[in-house]
Amino acid sequence: MVFRALTRQVGRRALIALTVALGVSLSTAILSVMWNIGDKVNEELKAYGANIVVRPQSSAILSSLYEDADTGSATLAEEDLGKIKTIFWAFNILDFAPFLSLDASVADSTASVEGTWFNKTLDLPTGEQAQAGMKNLRSWWDVSGDWLSDCCDDKVMASSSYAAAHGLTVGQMVTVGGPSTSKTLKLAGIYDSGDSSASDLLVTLKTAQELAGSPGAVSRIEVSALTTPDNDLARRAAKDPKLLSAADWETWYCTAYVSSIAYQLEEVIPESVARPVRQIAESEGVVLEKTQSLMLVIALLSLIGAAMGIANLITASVMERAAEIGLMKAIGGTSRQVVFTILAENLVIGAIGGLAGYFAGLGLAQVIGEAVFGTSISITPIVAPIMAGLVLVVIAVGSLPAIRLLLKLKPAEVLHGR
Amino acid sequence: MAADAKRARRAMFTTMIVRALSRRRSRMLVALLAVTVGATMLTGLSAVVLGAPSQMGRELRSYGANLVVSGNISTSSLPSLDAAVASDDVVGRAPYRYAELKLNEQAVTAAGTDMESVQSVRPYWQVSGSYPTSGQVLLGRDLAATFGLKTGETISLAKVGADEAAAMTVAGILDTGGSEDSFVVLPLEDLDKLLGEEGKLDVVEYSIATSNLDAAAAKLAQAVPGASADPVKRLAKSENTVLNTLSSLLGIVAVVVLTLMLITVATTMLAVVTERRSEIGLKKAIGASHRELLREFLGEGVLLGIAGGVVGGILGLGFSQLVAMQVFARPIDVVWGLLPASILISAAVTVVASLWPVGRVLATDPAIVLREE
Repeated sequence: MVFRALTRQVGRRALIALTVALGVSLSTAILSVMWNIGDKVNEELKAYGANIVVRPQSSAILSSLYEDADTGSATLAEEDLGKIKTIFWAFNILDFAPFLSLDASVADSTASVEGTWFNKTLDLPTGEQAQAGMKNLRSWWDVSGDWLSDCCDDKVMASSSYAAAHGLTVGQMVTVGGPSTSKTLKLAGIYDSGDSSASDLLVTLKTAQELAGSPGAVSRIEVSALTTPDNDLARRAAKDPKLLSAADWETWYCTAYVSSIAYQLEEVIPESVARPVRQIAESEGVVLEKTQSLMLVIALLSLIGAAMGIANLITASVMERAAEIGLMKAIGGTSRQVVFTILAENLVIGAIGGLAGYFAGLGLAQVIGEAVFGTSISITPIVAPIMAGLVLVVIAVGSLPAIRLLLKLKPAEVLHGR
Repeated sequence: MAADAKRARRAMFTTMIVRALSRRRSRMLVALLAVTVGATMLTGLSAVVLGAPSQMGRELRSYGANLVVSGNISTSSLPSLDAAVASDDVVGRAPYRYAELKLNEQAVTAAGTDMESVQSVRPYWQVSGSYPTSGQVLLGRDLAATFGLKTGETISLAKVGADEAAAMTVAGILDTGGSEDSFVVLPLEDLDKLLGEEGKLDVVEYSIATSNLDAAAAKLAQAVPGASADPVKRLAKSENTVLNTLSSLLGIVAVVVLTLMLITVATTMLAVVTERRSEIGLKKAIGASHRELLREFLGEGVLLGIAGGVVGGILGLGFSQLVAMQVFARPIDVVWGLLPASILISAAVTVVASLWPVGRVLATDPAIVLREE
């Protein structure tokens, strides 16, 4: 009977299947996007720059406190940098860049010089490769001319304010005299950072090390990591991880809090202090939380909307079959049989529509991901059972009251048309 | 005669629609519910999508000041600066004065500011202890570690070159991960007193939620002669990137949800009207013209659409406020234009979705329609 009912009146059944498919595909797409939104927005927020800064243990205090203190005394080792990509949360490290700062004399005046990686390909101890460099950590910079590249150590970049003050133009040769040697470099580009914190001149890390006479030295590492917003546990841990209980410590260490990532960085880089940059790390948490709750509300809204739409249509289609139900009853069907028949039929239709909708929804999620974030949306397994449950409940809720109502009527009346 | 007939026909038309709606109550309820849910979604989602980016812009202000005023400024220029920008947009404003001081006979950088307003401009500051009142200071984390100082201890602060030192209490330790970690932060008045020179300011930071930061900067720079105002490029540029992404995400999601919602409303209407095949057939058999029948269903559709659109529109606007309060803890601007839009779209969808099946029935011979089932 169910089979016959399905094969006849294809048009109306198709309408229900289509609506179920539409509702399910919409909800699947939105839920998939919602489950991914945290990571995606987090990546967008990386535009604000690094959220962890690693400094040598002793100079962390001294260098900023006493400008003339010998900063060369405490440095990090360039060879340890690859280890950053080997920590527990290595996949959450999106980018990092080492910096070596020094004061140099350029044309009889002092200029602050920083050496860094721009976009370097690293060979990791694990045999893999990774990209790192400051180019992505300064997304807001306007550069006229070219960025430097890590291959060529004969070029320099200047800040727009320094270039303006000293009348420098792109292509010009600049002689930079460091504590150890002096070098003549070609000005490749001029950057406008929009604030005063950037150094006057920017060179490759190797050039800076040679100028300073300290090979392999790094005075600061900026790290951009994907993090989970801080909670109570993270705040307690930030004060002193050793005060946590063993279980709490485990939870904290295995969650991507900014404090646990900083802690793990300190573990792999000897003699270092890793500090979260609160301006970036805290605000990230706020923005992420808001975006997630906004998406959650929209997802709920669309789930409810889809559910009501489907339930409504099913009620309408059951009402439409008043005569058929009356007939079934008239020829001796029990109420239970009638309910079972119609419910089974609707469930089969719903299952077909739901399955098609689920896969269409996964596709739709990818389209949204590509269009908005330019990356794919990972498939979240939990969405499938949620959708199955939703379809089941919606079909039951949509069919049962209507069937009940029709069963209460006398078959003769129903068949008569009123 | 002709006028009488016209009036009678109009009366009949009204009666038929009203009866059609009131008699088949449960079925019409289904249709009305579908239209209302659709309209609620339409209005609610549109209102959220329109309002969310500016709300999010406000949340992004937790990154701190996005406009910095420097140059020839003093505490007396603050009122004219404040008057230059719309106060609704200003999330926070804090004045700063920097100086070299001697802390326990060693040189440190001190920042004087207004403790209340600095919390609105730099909400990311983490203070263990409390913000200082008069006679108290905040110590940067690194500074506290170097000097081995803790909350509650007393320090002596003095102007470089002065003999007299003031005793102050450490109210809290400041952790920012930035340069403030090695600063002493104290109330502006206390710093003025120590330096023996009042009113001077180095920087005024503004945290402004506006889409046109450059215009705000230009107004601020004009407000005080000798002052310059610069947007903080890092924040302004990143903010644009993030907000654009968010708007396009919400936009796409809204378009998808609304399209599917409209289709769902249409299919429900389709089912409700298709059910009345025999009624249409019968009316046609007893002599109703196509025009009259189409007009009848058109009237029904418009009535349903308007009713659903009004109820749904109001519910949707209320709903969007609920969402805004829930997510942002602030109401969003009500876009009243959404209400007529909701009514128009609902009416259009119901009319199209009901006239299409009617047309199909009309194309068939009434005898066939009536014999079915």
